[in-house]
Order: sequence, then structure tokens, then C-alpha cells
Amino acid sequence: MKRREFLSMTVGALALAVVPASVKAEDFRKSKPAVWSAKTVDDAIKALYGTNELTMSNVKLITAKVPSDSPKKAVASNGGAIPVDFSVSVPAKTVSVYQDSNPEAAVCVIDVTKYDTMNYSIKIKMAKSGTITVVAEGTDGKLYAAKQTLDVALGGCEG
Amino acid sequence: MSKIKVKAKLKGGMLKVKAMAKHEMSTYNIAEKKTGNRDNANFITHISATINGETVWDMSTSQFLSKNPIFKFNLKGIGAKGDKVVMVAVDRKGNTLKGKGKIK
Repeated sequence: MKRREFLSMTVGALALAVVPASVKAEDFRKSKPAVWSAKTVDDAIKALYGTNELTMSNVKLITAKVPSDSPKKAVASNGGAIPVDFSVSVPAKTVSVYQDSNPEAAVCVIDVTKYDTMNYSIKIKMAKSGTITVVAEGTDGKLYAAKQTLDVALGGCEG
Repeated sequence: MSKIKVKAKLKGGMLKVKAMAKHEMSTYNIAEKKTGNRDNANFITHISATINGETVWDMSTSQFLSKNPIFKFNLKGIGAKGDKVVMVAVDRKGNTLKGKGKIK
């Protein structure tokens, strides 16, 4: 019992000690406003990282059901809530998601913390069929990416 | 009124967090169609999670997350059973959404 108390105290003290350094998470809407108004995926990636050279590896992207007869294309029955699961297997600083069927391209940018295992699942909306792109900015400076094209049966952006 | 539901589960050293923010997430197009003014669009622009005051997860978002968006993510090396995961989101109009969940 004493050991347990000691352990929890240490954890608490550690957490307090690290606070000042890790509190300053970046708000990418303020620091990179151009990303959010970019009309194409390429422009948005360029606005965020300064380059759009992508390495198509180390990122795993799974969207809605992928029919077995055409593994390249997934189908989403409801464009208003498309599940997007993605994970990154290399150390990365940021992870961002884009699609090309809405008026603007950027969906979200994640500021990766040291506790993050980079395994995410979010729901997005798309107005029509298009391609989802996930980009991870590796700590080595390279951009790793994955793309998934999907058919959207019912558009989700017009309300 | 606005709220975020947070569920967190610790299993094998991995902390799985699941959150749902209650928000309409209207896009510029929806706002224009419904109110005639693009500027009425309102969506979450930034959401983050903290444990014991430390930021553990952080996301800047656009209008293309779904209505009542769901976020799932896994963390490692932080949080003990009984700790609280606190999530705060800010939308375009400046409203703050808050929610917390106990780690199970």
C-alpha cells in the first residue's frame, strides 16, 4: 500500500514538473491561417508544411466499408458522418487530414504530444465522392501520407 | 448547454479515449443556405485534452468534421485509474465547450 502511495506521488510530481513545457500546444488556425482557406489538398499541404512532396508509406488509413470486389474504392452511405481511422507508424510532429470534395481542403491538424500513440478515429463530412488524404510530418522532416478514395452516396455538407 | 462527453479506459498501459462533442458544426455553405450569411457558420476550431493539467492531445479542426463529432485516440505513458481526462473545445464564435471523464 505504501509503495502504491509513493508511486502515485511520484507520478503527480512528475506531471507538475513537465507542465510548463507541454502546455503550449499550437493552434494551427492562428499560426497557419492559409491552410484553412486553401481550396485544394496540394495547396493546403503546401501552406502547412512548405512543401507537398509526399512519401506514400508509414501511414495507415481506413475509411468506411471497403467492398471486397474493388479494394481501391470505399463506399460511405452517409456523407454527413464518414468514419476515418488513421494511424502513423513513424515518429511524427503533426498529423493532418484533407479531402478534395468540399469547398476547402483541410479537415484537421493534430499537434502530436509525447503521449500520443498516433492512433486516431474521427468522423468527417464530405459533399460528394472524393479522396481523403492523411499526412504525417515525420520528425525526420519527411511527409508521409496515405490516400483513400471513396464514393459518397449522400452528400453531407449541404445540411 | 454545450458539452463534450468523454470516456477513457486504461488497458494494458494504453489509455483509450473516446469523446463526443455536442455541436452543430455548420459549414459556410449551410450557413449561407439557411441564414443567407456565410458568416453565421459555426464549428469547433480547436479541441484539446488534458490530464492532470498537462496537454496530452491537441487538434485544430475545420468545418468538415461531422455534426456532433467523435474523436478517438490512444495515449501511452500518462494517466492512472481515477484521473480525469478534461477536454476543452473552442468554436468559431468563441464559445467554449467543456467535458471530462474519469479514467476507468
